[in-house]
Amino acid sequence: IPIMTYVSHTPPFVFHHVFSKVYKDRHFSCEDCDGTVSGGFDAATSQIVLCQNNIHQQAHMNRVVTHELIHAFDHCRAHVDWFNNFRHLACSEIRAANLSGDCSFTNEVSRFNFGLKAHHQQCVRDRAVRSILAVRKVSQEEAQKIVDEVFDSCFKDHAPFGRIPHGNKDAKFAYREYMNRDRYYANL
Amino acid sequence: MEQLAERAWRPHQACEDYLSEFRHCRSFRNHFHHYYTYGTAPSCQQWKEDYHNCRKWESHKLAEAKDALQKSERRRLEEQKNFTPVWKLRQAPPGDWHRPLD
Repeated sequence: IPIMTYVSHTPPFVFHHVFSKVYKDRHFSCEDCDGTVSGGFDAATSQIVLCQNNIHQQAHMNRVVTHELIHAFDHCRAHVDWFNNFRHLACSEIRAANLSGDCSFTNEVSRFNFGLKAHHQQCVRDRAVRSILAVRKVSQEEAQKIVDEVFDSCFKDHAPFGRIPHGNKDAKFAYREYMNRDRYYANL
Repeated sequence: MEQLAERAWRPHQACEDYLSEFRHCRSFRNHFHHYYTYGTAPSCQQWKEDYHNCRKWESHKLAEAKDALQKSERRRLEEQKNFTPVWKLRQAPPGDWHRPLD
């Protein structure tokens, strides 16, 4: 299934917010990956990797693309030291888990993680730790400690959405806010 | 002249947009998501006030309505920035973002 189809299903404004323009031919790469990894962001090549052998559903693809675009967005708007600064890595993973829909109630239930009250935050912590362990040689305790250190700050950083997009309506309103932004700042 | 400019001020979005935010905030779906995320119920009253102030400004050009609306929006913006970033923001995108791949 051509990549353009997948890409067109993601909220279009996410592309606009990456003020470095994203081109599907340059910034996306479909590859076969090890294990159960769904995707990744390669800062060295400025590419989002999509694991074509591990993504089988449109909804999953949407989520992976959103997740990796958040990493790309962080890479473009901040000096993220992906390789040496674990706090930076943890922060971007917290944001990606928080804002991509990774931790939606439905997704968690499908993983047999049944939780309700503030469960989203627990899921974000856990998935951030998992993501760090998948790419760095650190212990579970170390990864947990780093996530805990930066969680409060990074969980609150909802850029570029201005809110946690839990569904299409949230995304629509966030996009509307984005389109109004010039008028917004002029009028404050 | 200044008064003209004052009266020419428009809220950054249509008043109906505030109302739609209020309705969305109050929806069952949003309550569910808010509880799932924060363990509490969302507070939606501010959207309603903003809607009323927006309408007051658009209809009667009441200065208090404009001030209240601006104050509310500034507070909303501050809330969004209410954290200490772990990284430094860039002034320009990374230089190698479009570098051709080998």
